[in-house]
Amino acid sequence: MASKFGLAGGIPERRVRPIWDAIDSRQFKNALKHSTALLAKCPNSPYALALKSLILERMGKSDEALSVCLNAKELLYKNDSLLMDDLTLSTLQIVFQRLDRLDLATGCYEYACSKFPSNLELMMGLFNCYVREYSFVKQQQTAIKMYKLVGEERFLLWAVCSIQLQVFCGNGGEKLAMLAEGLLKKHVASHSLHEPEALMVYISILEQQEKYGDALEILSGQLGSLLVIEVDKLRIQGRLLARSGDYATSASIYQKILELCPDDWECFLHYLGCLLEDGSSWSNGANNDPINPPKPVDCKVSQLADEVFHSRISTSLAFVKKLQADTRNDFIRCPYLATLEIERRKRLHGKGNDDDIVEALMLYFLKFGHLASFSSDVEAFLQVLTPDKKTEFLAKLIKTLDSSATAPTKVLGQSITIFKIQELTGNMYKLPVLELEGCAIQMVEMYCKSLPLSKDLDPQESMHGEELLSMVCNVLVQLFWRTRHLGYFIEAIMVLEFGLTIRRYIWQYKILLLHLYSHLGAISLAYEWYRSLDVKNILMETVSHHILPQMLVSPLWGDLNNLLKDYLRFMDDHFRESADLTFLAYRHRNYSKVIEFVQFKERLQRSNQYLVARVETPILQLKQKADNIEEEEGVLENLNGGVHFVELSNEIGSKTLTFNEDFQSRPWWTPTTEKNYLLGPFEGVSYCPKENLIKEREENVRGVIEKKSLLPRMIYLSIHSASASLKESVEENGSISGSKISSEFKFLLERHAKMLGFSLSDAVEVVMGVSSGVKSFEAFGSDEIDWINFAVFLNAWNLNSHEPLQPNGDQCGRGIWYVVDTLLVKYISEKIKSMESLICSPRVDLPILVQLVTEPLAWHGLVIQSCVRSSLPSGKKKKKGGPVDQHSSLVFNDIRDSIQSLCDTVKEVAKWIRGQIDRPEDESVEIMLSSLRKKEQDEGPGRVFHVLECLIPSINEAELGDRISQELKTWSPLDVARKIVTGDSTLLSQFLNICESKIKSFQALNQQIAQI
Amino acid sequence: MTTIRRFSCNDLLRFASVNFDHLTETFNMSFYMTYLARWPDYFHVAEGPGNKVMGYIMGKVEGQGESWHGHVTAVTVASEYRRQQLAKKLMNLLEEISDKIDKAYFVDLFVRASNTPAIKMYEKLGYVIYRRVLRYYSGEEDGLDMRKALSRDVGKKSIIPLKRPVTPDELEYD
Repeated sequence: MASKFGLAGGIPERRVRPIWDAIDSRQFKNALKHSTALLAKCPNSPYALALKSLILERMGKSDEALSVCLNAKELLYKNDSLLMDDLTLSTLQIVFQRLDRLDLATGCYEYACSKFPSNLELMMGLFNCYVREYSFVKQQQTAIKMYKLVGEERFLLWAVCSIQLQVFCGNGGEKLAMLAEGLLKKHVASHSLHEPEALMVYISILEQQEKYGDALEILSGQLGSLLVIEVDKLRIQGRLLARSGDYATSASIYQKILELCPDDWECFLHYLGCLLEDGSSWSNGANNDPINPPKPVDCKVSQLADEVFHSRISTSLAFVKKLQADTRNDFIRCPYLATLEIERRKRLHGKGNDDDIVEALMLYFLKFGHLASFSSDVEAFLQVLTPDKKTEFLAKLIKTLDSSATAPTKVLGQSITIFKIQELTGNMYKLPVLELEGCAIQMVEMYCKSLPLSKDLDPQESMHGEELLSMVCNVLVQLFWRTRHLGYFIEAIMVLEFGLTIRRYIWQYKILLLHLYSHLGAISLAYEWYRSLDVKNILMETVSHHILPQMLVSPLWGDLNNLLKDYLRFMDDHFRESADLTFLAYRHRNYSKVIEFVQFKERLQRSNQYLVARVETPILQLKQKADNIEEEEGVLENLNGGVHFVELSNEIGSKTLTFNEDFQSRPWWTPTTEKNYLLGPFEGVSYCPKENLIKEREENVRGVIEKKSLLPRMIYLSIHSASASLKESVEENGSISGSKISSEFKFLLERHAKMLGFSLSDAVEVVMGVSSGVKSFEAFGSDEIDWINFAVFLNAWNLNSHEPLQPNGDQCGRGIWYVVDTLLVKYISEKIKSMESLICSPRVDLPILVQLVTEPLAWHGLVIQSCVRSSLPSGKKKKKGGPVDQHSSLVFNDIRDSIQSLCDTVKEVAKWIRGQIDRPEDESVEIMLSSLRKKEQDEGPGRVFHVLECLIPSINEAELGDRISQELKTWSPLDVARKIVTGDSTLLSQFLNICESKIKSFQALNQQIAQI
Repeated sequence: MTTIRRFSCNDLLRFASVNFDHLTETFNMSFYMTYLARWPDYFHVAEGPGNKVMGYIMGKVEGQGESWHGHVTAVTVASEYRRQQLAKKLMNLLEEISDKIDKAYFVDLFVRASNTPAIKMYEKLGYVIYRRVLRYYSGEEDGLDMRKALSRDVGKKSIIPLKRPVTPDELEYD
């Protein structure tokens, strides 16, 4: 702020400077003092008032700030003789923006521009206002005015960008692109263009209209010289030619690029695509998702006649050979991988054979097999081979390795690659248990042997052979899945913890560990590892999927709250500041970024995870406050009774969601947030290709959001319905009437039932059936929590509704109340019984138990609280005798029984938790470790662990170097086992706290009801 | 196997495996977007087969007179693609843009004084330690300001090492 000196807003600079300085140094009180003094001298200066409002806003006095700001605005409007300068306006703008009143800021600038229609500075301010409001049409109009005023290229481009935004992000039709083209054409004819970015926009406008010839002409003309980097120009030319269908010329352009950049893989794919006249990579299909690009296997089969196809293939092969011969650099892989792609295309055309692919793979291996990226390079090519050929390829690889004798790091690299290929092809997992164990042992031995190679490496650098332990973990988890021996699982944890003891920065191990701990039920440890990954800013959007779903069903409410808050803050901050950054791109004439920024903001706004977090945040608050109905009502009041979320639930079906999660780093056993193979029986799934699972996920996420966003409103209605049932009407509280509640509630229940796949009456029947034991809990499928929630809400509705639940069933509230109690008690008891200690098997049912207690049971508790509160004598009016009392007394009986049985059930949970926490730590640790300490020759868990244990006594410091030796000495499996046990206690203690709070609440209710 | 192209916003959604590296900072959005909005030619990503992000470089061009220079703000490569000279390729690109398009005098960068592997790599690429910046990193660790002269600095004046260390507030640019 202090940068603009001179006459400021019509006031001499020396008078305002102290205010600026005070604001800059955040001494707002001092600033306010100066400002008051200034206003005493210039009481009618809009700028002085604007400054005051700015200070007030910074001091957190939003209301005052707004009123002063509006005052300043009024003065500006009133007095025409007053100066209408940009400094005053931009100060007002800042305050209005911070107060979330962009409309007022825009209004000021609109007014100013109408008064001074030829003031460019004001018009730029107005343009900026429209950028903030995403008003593309108005942006365009303002930019055109500026262009007409001064004829500058940049303003024309601002207008053109605004037009493009209407086409890409608004409702603008294609005719608009013609308009933009016309504007540019006219300008170019008279003034030419001077910025490379302007040229890019021009070309993209033409490309949008499929006017490829025109675009090419411009590019090869004088304007083309704006692009200084030759390759950039060639790339655009190649693309335009291919899009226009001139594949031959396009191929020759791509050939030129490859001669300049022989390692450009994408360019090679374009080159080959053009030669084979396959335009699939140029089509604007639905697959054009930049985040989740289609797999290479998806390319189109060439339609060329055999003869032509052959000749084109020979041409490409000859060119690739030439590239290979011309490149001396050992790191250039593209010309070599290119032969594989050519073989793959031949096979797709029905002309190649697997032997040729295997041969090409072998050649590629000999040259680059030692590189860590080898397996991901060839992944797509392996997929086209038959299982037999894959095995043959592997056998050849192993043979090659034996016969080659090169540098030790290279041999290690190649050996790791072979393991990776075994993993990738799934061959490894076809081995019987003993051999699979053997594989893991081989890997861990190789890891130990390779440690000396990293002796001289800096601790910051990755060590040789680090991938081995990740692979060992993958094998051990596979063994666990097959045999259900928890020992393998613990062994996998130990191996990774060992790896992190030697070097603590290996994120791949941390991610695997966090998933292992999650599955085991030790979420607090999983969260610890997650935190060590330092996930922040945009990574929260792409990688919090590793932990968020587990945390949502955990008792770690404090941590979950932080996770959700940080994430939402990041997203909302971005939405707030994105427009200003877009304007920055306008100002710096980087027009392509303007479009990119707006599209990116929209992409994030439609993020499925963002919507989930927005719904889950209030649900968490509702869970946290559920033991105190007044506090719960406070939360609901802030949520406006949950009505906005009902709207979200209504709209979600028509929203396009985006999926920005990066699943690449997830382990094989849980490739997406929805899948965990370990929860099901062994299916022989070995290698899970990371397919594009977006469609499947989209449906699922939509369902979750639709269902969950009804929750706050259902809770709100439950509380009111319960109290309305005991009072004739709650209208006296200014709330809605009993009948309105009932009809809205019924409508939501019908929707809830529909989401579960049933009509309301059928759903009622299912609930009744399960409660009475006619149907088993399996009738609920995996939606058990939703079903029990449904039962709870059904009861709450039934309390106040006069409709029978079932045509021939129990028609008073008592029946369904009993149903809910029975469901909760039975289900919770069943879960407790089925759960073992963490040291015996993963506690996969714990999240369900936590959910049962913190969701349906908590909501049911609120219904009870509401009933009890409404029945307590308020002192103002005495209850009259009559039918209401009879009804009430029936309900009271239900409530009494309910409180008792729920309280007992939660006590049962608490008892179970205490039993787990109170187990002697040493005993648990011993059991865990003993599962790993088997004799060497035995089949079963412990053999891999044994290799690591043998390493420690045989440490050769000279060979391993100081650092590694020291780290090795700190390795303690006992500490890890202890950490698991302690972590388990931490988690369970949090759950215990929740249970104890519920017990207290029920006990208090019991006392209250005794007074009625 | 590297397609090097301009970094775009969408790449922010795909660079997790690069940024998980403990020495790679994940900045806030306005930081990345300011670089994209102001110096898009200095922000490049390297992509491998399957459109995998292999690494990226971000930088800027700033300064006045003979201090007009390219600056490397971050250069990083995913662990899977290390030891393939990718960082060198990215650095060369930024140097070329500073040299040919913006006619800068030199390129500079800051590195943690403890990050020996990186310092060695920059030295191999022709950078020299120009000066030490005391407590540059969060007021704790010293930073090294390393420079490489470009063709416009014929006498290589810009890289003559300073005799004494400087403090962060003495730096000309952020």
